[in-house]
Amino acid sequence: MARVNDPELTKARLHLVVEEMYDRIVKGEPPTMTLPVRTKNNIGFDKKLGVYKYGKKRSTRDATSLGSAKNLLRALHVVEFIEEMIEAGKSSTLREMYYISESWGLGKFGSQNESNNLAEDLEVVTTCLREDFKLRPEEDGARMIGNVTIEELNRRGQWMTINARDDVGDSGYGVPYNVEIEKIRLKEHDVNFLMAIETGGMFDRLVENGFDEEYNCGLIHLKGQPARSTRRIMKRMNEEWDLPVIVFLDGDPWSFRIFASIAYGAIKTAHISEYLATPSASYLGITADDILAYDLPSDELSKKDIEALNAELSDPRFADGWWQDQINMMLEIGKKAEQQSLAKYGLDFVTDTYLPEKLGEMGLA
Amino acid sequence: MIRVAGIADKMAKNQKQIAISEFFEKNKHFLGFDSLQRSVITAVKEAVDNSLDACEEARILPEIKVKISKIDSNKDILELQTEDNGPGIPQKSIEKVFGQLLFGSRFHAIRQSRGQQGIGITGVVMYSQLTTGKPTHVISKIASDPTAVSVNIGLDTRKNKAVKSDQTRIIWENDDQTMKEHGLRVTTRMKAKYQRGRQSVFQYLRMTSIVNPHAEITFTDPDGETFHWPRVTERLPSKVDAIKPHPHGIELGQLQRMCRESSDSRMTVFLRQNFSGVSMRAAKELCEAAELEITTKPKSLKPDDVRALLEAFQGEREVNGKAIKLLSPPTNCLSPIEEMLIKKGLSKTIDSKFVATMTRAPTVSHGNPFQVEVGLIFGEGMVADKHVEVLRFANRVPLMYQQGGCLLTKAIESVDWRQYGLEQAGGKGVPKGPAAILVHLASTNVQFTSEAKEALSDNEFVFEETRRAMLEMGRGLRKHLEKKKKMAKTREKFELINDILPAIAEKSASILERPVPDLAGSITKIMSAVICNESTTWNKETKQVDVSITLFNYTSRSRSYSLLVNWPEKSGGEMVGNERGGRKEAMGIWGWKIETLEPGEKAVLEYSLSNLEKGDWTETEVFFRGSQDVIGATKLDEKMLVEIRKQEEILNQSDAPAEEGDANVTYEPGVVEGDSGQTTLFGGEN
Repeated sequence: MARVNDPELTKARLHLVVEEMYDRIVKGEPPTMTLPVRTKNNIGFDKKLGVYKYGKKRSTRDATSLGSAKNLLRALHVVEFIEEMIEAGKSSTLREMYYISESWGLGKFGSQNESNNLAEDLEVVTTCLREDFKLRPEEDGARMIGNVTIEELNRRGQWMTINARDDVGDSGYGVPYNVEIEKIRLKEHDVNFLMAIETGGMFDRLVENGFDEEYNCGLIHLKGQPARSTRRIMKRMNEEWDLPVIVFLDGDPWSFRIFASIAYGAIKTAHISEYLATPSASYLGITADDILAYDLPSDELSKKDIEALNAELSDPRFADGWWQDQINMMLEIGKKAEQQSLAKYGLDFVTDTYLPEKLGEMGLA
Repeated sequence: MIRVAGIADKMAKNQKQIAISEFFEKNKHFLGFDSLQRSVITAVKEAVDNSLDACEEARILPEIKVKISKIDSNKDILELQTEDNGPGIPQKSIEKVFGQLLFGSRFHAIRQSRGQQGIGITGVVMYSQLTTGKPTHVISKIASDPTAVSVNIGLDTRKNKAVKSDQTRIIWENDDQTMKEHGLRVTTRMKAKYQRGRQSVFQYLRMTSIVNPHAEITFTDPDGETFHWPRVTERLPSKVDAIKPHPHGIELGQLQRMCRESSDSRMTVFLRQNFSGVSMRAAKELCEAAELEITTKPKSLKPDDVRALLEAFQGEREVNGKAIKLLSPPTNCLSPIEEMLIKKGLSKTIDSKFVATMTRAPTVSHGNPFQVEVGLIFGEGMVADKHVEVLRFANRVPLMYQQGGCLLTKAIESVDWRQYGLEQAGGKGVPKGPAAILVHLASTNVQFTSEAKEALSDNEFVFEETRRAMLEMGRGLRKHLEKKKKMAKTREKFELINDILPAIAEKSASILERPVPDLAGSITKIMSAVICNESTTWNKETKQVDVSITLFNYTSRSRSYSLLVNWPEKSGGEMVGNERGGRKEAMGIWGWKIETLEPGEKAVLEYSLSNLEKGDWTETEVFFRGSQDVIGATKLDEKMLVEIRKQEEILNQSDAPAEEGDANVTYEPGVVEGDSGQTTLFGGEN
């Protein structure tokens, strides 16, 4: 999949969705919408692209229950709304669309989750991107610090050159929601690798300790589960500049999922995995090994944690031996630990000892 | 010696004086005056129970007003005024009724009556006098006198006698200045505290109004707020006959007294005339078993003889190796509230969608006739996360204390309510949910755990009857909830085809700029079912219940069905305006044949039910015979129909006057008669 970036083609593809419903009614059948199954049971490794993509399983949403009938009606309203925006040259956030749906009568959304999911459904069915639909996410992108220079098109239509070390404050460069070529150009850099960090506290610690300069790297704050634009800009820097991506997260099942979404693609966005995922990204820590090796302060795994770990054991993205070992080991010791638990040994321990040791193992320090 | 005798006399007098106030003091727990909060409830209870009993005996529809005012909040002095439209009390009887312990006409008679509690209104007079020193003011008017009597009643605790003062005759007018025809007003001041909540005057009156749907009750609380529980039926409770005691239910003391007071010339006469269930043959056999001559005068029986007779009564003495067979006592001495009226009573105090009630057939335990009635009300308006409200009654008297120790509560707790759609931790205890459960025990001999008379003592027969009735309620509730769920699903489907599908068709057509397609085919495929819609509504103008049943065929083949409905035939309802005819299938079951229903077609059945009051009939159950399932109707269980027909036959037979002294109808002591054949439409899965 790639950007369509062609309003007429986008419209034509959306019309196919509408036609499926219309034709079924004409045939005397309940209207339907057919789309790939979007669960972990239907993602498979695409060897050519090196990422996980939806498989062949398709599900048919048909109007035989009130819930799915309403869903079809909503989809029609969304299609109409997108067409109106394309024609008027406007765009809206997903949240705005949710509020606009108030006037859609029977087709209005019950929650924003519903409107977000439907936008993704339409992306999946039409193989367009939401940028083609003129829909913007609410989510904000990452913060970035390091000797990386980019050009961004500002509101006045001027290209601004920004160095993410010299031209920014301590909070770094804010990555916008659109990081496509028409908005962001990667100009130059002088770093050896990129490090993606889960928590703001750890990001700030590395910034304060000057880790980016000492180890010549770019630091990216993921803010939990990373937004599409965060994953996309990492992917671009990885591809265009050939920079290794190192991922430094908490040591718990949820962090493993964050890593999987960065490296292999998220289940929800598997239709655009090749566009967002960085298959060469590597997981630095916290690993289950680290908890033992560094004797880190840890918490007991909760029931939900254990369920999540067990689910990961059967997740194709974690099928390789290293991950199976890590997951099993975490289940065995029954513990999880946060990044910031490294502070047990002092504020500089992470930058003086832990990261150099780990990066050394990876051949980066 | 004379001196000594004089002192003894004086001492005895003193003793008596001490005895009565001490008796009161010592027993105030049993008498219901053990706390300031409870005293006012007890006082209201005694007065209101008297009013209801008097009205019932005089066949008057009761109108009762209760008013409580604060006289002195610092000293907790309340004034209680109760007024009724009962027959009034003749002037000469007033001091007996209000001023004597253990006065009452019901002391010997065995029948169901309210006034089995405490020492009656005398206790109130006494409590008022002891706590405030004030007499109780009574106005009474009987129909045959032109004026009313107004009098103050106090108590001479020394003589256990009423003291009258300020007696005059007055003209008693109603608020609208018409003459009051008959009635009684009691005004009394006492040390007491008014409170709200589960144990309050309000709750007592509310519960009373539920089980006395024929009464009109008005209550004004100390804040001046007035509550009104209207009368919902003009029908007075049926008059209860007093019955003679049954040998199985008698105690030694009572038997001794009866023998002593008897003037009968021989034992057989005594036994046959003073007891129920004793035939000539049985009387002879009882004498034989007790080794008594038939010709013995009962008055001359020695204590050992009486004991022997009791043993014969209880089957401990046998004749030819067998206990003597006795007839069951008659059960017409009971006055159940009856299903329809419980339903109305519950509905007027609790707003709800579902009410199920059941009156079990009367039965006998240890020679005492009893009858259990239950009601269950369920609805969205009630609190969902708390225990259900348990409303307990014995002979129409609310039981407000000691819920946990009561047999009726235990019977409720013994049911696993989870299977019927209520929450219940571990399947035990009082369930939780938006519901209230009513249990009423009518009996000639209500057994309490203690003199406080607030909890019924264990009795396996009453327990079993109550439990069975509860299971029946539960099944009704489950059916109701299942039906509601089904109806919700059906409503969704209709919303889908009536609203959403047309919208999809229009929107897709407008986006594609094509004509709006026809929906018929899609609708059949989506519904793919035969659907029945029922509505039962009260028609204000015609004063009838309008029932409408629509059967839609949303399948691709033509269908044929029989539709059956239940209707209140037994309760006297009449079916009118039923243009499609049909036929009676059984008592309370009507059926129609629908020969062919083509795909996409619908059939409508409409009729009205007359001779009913609002709220009598709120939900019609629809059954079907046919191969394809019908959403919104229940497949008819033919066995159930057979069962109903059988019941009908039994009912018709038992309507015929029973022959007296039918020696074939015997009963074993302490055995509850079968299932008493109470099968309802909810089927007999026990």
